[in-house]
Amino acid sequence: MLSLLLVVPLIGAALAAWWPGQTRSIASVIALAVIGWTVFLLTQFNLGEPAMQFVEDFTWIDSLGLSYKLGIDGLSLPLVALNSLLTWVAIYSSDEKVDRPRLYYSLILLLNAAVTGVFLAQDLLLFFISYELELIPLYLLIAIWGGQKRAYAATKFLIYTALSGALILAAFLGLAWLGGSNSFTYNPTLAHALPLSQQFLLLGALLLGFGIKMPLFPFHTWLPDAHVEASTPISVLLAGVLLKLATYGILRFCVGLFPAAWQVAAPWLAIWAIISVLYGALMAIAQKDMKKMVAYSSVSHMGYILLAAAANTPLSFSAAMIQMVSHGLISAALFLSVGVVYKKAGTRDITVLEGLLNPERGMPVIGSLMILGVMASAGIPGMVGFVAEFLIFRSTFPVFPIPTLLCMIGTGLTAVYYLLLINKAFFGRLSPQVQDLEAVTWRERYPAMILTGAIILFGFVPGWITRWSEPTIFATLQPPAIVATVATISTPDLQP
Amino acid sequence: MTITTSRHPLAAFIDRFYNGQALLPDSPDNVKEVVGILVSYGYVLEAYQENLQHIADQEFLTIFPFFKYFNNGVSSSQLFKHFAHDRINFEYAEYCMKVMLWHGGGKLEEYVESDDFRQLIELAIQAKIKGNPVNQLLHRLFPEFLPEQVRQMVYYNALGQFWQVMYALFLDLGKAYDHGQITTIPDVVGFIKAGLVAAAGNPIVYAVKIGGESYDILPRSANLTFLMDVAVPYVEAVFFRGTPFLGTVSYNAQAGEIPLEQSAFAYGALYADPLPIGGSGIPPTLLMQDMRHYLPDYLHEMYQNTKRQESDLLVKICQSFQKSMYCVTSAAILGLAPHDLKTNNPQEQANNLAYFESWMDRFLTSQLRNIQG
Repeated sequence: MLSLLLVVPLIGAALAAWWPGQTRSIASVIALAVIGWTVFLLTQFNLGEPAMQFVEDFTWIDSLGLSYKLGIDGLSLPLVALNSLLTWVAIYSSDEKVDRPRLYYSLILLLNAAVTGVFLAQDLLLFFISYELELIPLYLLIAIWGGQKRAYAATKFLIYTALSGALILAAFLGLAWLGGSNSFTYNPTLAHALPLSQQFLLLGALLLGFGIKMPLFPFHTWLPDAHVEASTPISVLLAGVLLKLATYGILRFCVGLFPAAWQVAAPWLAIWAIISVLYGALMAIAQKDMKKMVAYSSVSHMGYILLAAAANTPLSFSAAMIQMVSHGLISAALFLSVGVVYKKAGTRDITVLEGLLNPERGMPVIGSLMILGVMASAGIPGMVGFVAEFLIFRSTFPVFPIPTLLCMIGTGLTAVYYLLLINKAFFGRLSPQVQDLEAVTWRERYPAMILTGAIILFGFVPGWITRWSEPTIFATLQPPAIVATVATISTPDLQP
Repeated sequence: MTITTSRHPLAAFIDRFYNGQALLPDSPDNVKEVVGILVSYGYVLEAYQENLQHIADQEFLTIFPFFKYFNNGVSSSQLFKHFAHDRINFEYAEYCMKVMLWHGGGKLEEYVESDDFRQLIELAIQAKIKGNPVNQLLHRLFPEFLPEQVRQMVYYNALGQFWQVMYALFLDLGKAYDHGQITTIPDVVGFIKAGLVAAAGNPIVYAVKIGGESYDILPRSANLTFLMDVAVPYVEAVFFRGTPFLGTVSYNAQAGEIPLEQSAFAYGALYADPLPIGGSGIPPTLLMQDMRHYLPDYLHEMYQNTKRQESDLLVKICQSFQKSMYCVTSAAILGLAPHDLKTNNPQEQANNLAYFESWMDRFLTSQLRNIQG
């Protein structure tokens, strides 16, 4: 069952690459088929079952201990669904006259398969292979269809994320080696048995690896460059899904494999989260490029997920899950809107843009969607962003009160930089440079409209996201006996 | 070619008048745009003037004129159309009337404030309130109320008479253009100027029938004429001064965004910003909405050949309308010039120059420069 989520986009990638003409249509149909299959999985998923479901397990390369083991649980299912949706959105919002369409669409489908592989893999090596495989299409999508400095941005992305992969691989190899296992199958008990010092070593490597990918300060510098140079659909995938590989990795592997070490490291991670949240927000305030602002906003919002993960409670995990989906939808909607602005106005510079909400000559619908997007990002009630941030602060405050309060400043700063953006670019009189814009078509509006609809829908019924993951989260966070033995290790006092 | 010795920042436009040109540059596109928009304006003015005359005649001193926009009687289908906004925005005509009433000007204002007028309308008021104790009490308690209502009726009627001439003039202009008789902007200006001059001396009279008897409100003896007593105050009120309140943009009086003196107002059609947000003027949005129904095909085609086609139709109409209003203003300026422009008399030349410069002073903050492209 799960293999179809990998096989269908891979077949689609091959068809898009070799079938003459209709490449875009093939990609769209394949993406819709993947969505359809995901919906079917949602209907078949047992909500009361915390363990992996629809497991497929085959030995692949016995000598390496590599097995083809797939499974899906409450942590991965919402992200698989997000990936399916955003892949279709990316294809739909791609320029109909994109250069080299065969390669372009096949790479997007390949990316979809690789990302899904990351979420489904139950073998550490298979996870790593999928994690690395995703780099290739994304690198090419930025390097070939990106902006003027695409080569620089793509190379920087590749170097950073390859380093991320190397650290993760090192951690997995270390786990198998130190645990004395011949297999790379995901096995929490193997890690739990390790001495705490070894757990710290492995957790550190994983944290660095995923921290680069998330990205967290100070490993974030590749992200704004990649976003600025990537085309709009690729930015949608990058912010919407790709960053979630790291947050998923933290919940699945860092917390799942090393709960004792995590417990000790958690206060330090909360501090790291504060720095990332505030640094990302302050950098966003300083930006003139709308896309860079949204990119730095991502750095800030990823920090909330780290804070929630550090708090390490069932509620905070649910909050982290909902924040992942929330950020995926909101950032994708924002990048889509910014993309339309850039396509029509030829600039994203908020010192040049003004009055884009003008009902006659501007882009009032895109402007309205942008406003809704920034409202959601700033945590305005009635939208999924509010639910996510409220749950995060509600769940982390009892554990880390001061870090939570400091991170809440980040929410205020989100309102600051996005109000600056909206005020400068969308209100006022149309600036002379943008008085003769081409009209925005409905086709260009639909993707952001669909995502905005989802943002509002989940804002009112957030249970439609959390219901899938709650049993898994409760099972994941059953405290192992070994956690009790780490109380003597010193940690920063973050209590008031 | 530089003709005048003026050092006014807009001296180039004065030169244009001496060169036989107008405030709007001459080009085939401008001619098509101006004539096309004036034709649609003509159709709208026809509807407006009918309604204004209807209100002045049929709703005279009706305290609550609920159905004043229904010239042709009230029916459920018409009511439905009205509330569904499938109709002409007669409110715009009323705004123009109120702007004229507010700013006044000409002998018309003097007359409606005179004792003669007051005595004359008292007869009409008494006839109207006869047998109506409520209105009699109203008149007794507030003796200025009904006379003020009559003054307003006068402006309904006067503006109706003005537009009666103008709509026919603009529709004739369209026919002349269709027959190839109008090919340049100076042709357009000349046509309008000729029409204004021809109607200049038309008497402005107004009488109402009450109980089968006719009552003079503006008698012929008041010697009110079309050009000086209605057309000129209209141009002054609607093209130049306007009002800051009757639009979509809010102005903050406390922040000094509204001049203290009415004479310093510059909210008229010639100042309106076609992109209204944050601008200093208010586009005549209701009028633009009405005109879009009557655009000739060649103007539609012209708009379709632009980048945004007709998705910004109201902005395009506003810009075209402003161009046409600068043509009408050109005609008025030329028609009111104190002396022949070809005069050799130095004093007359100086008078003419001072006259043109006074107009140019008023254009300094207008959209004049923006319509040149």
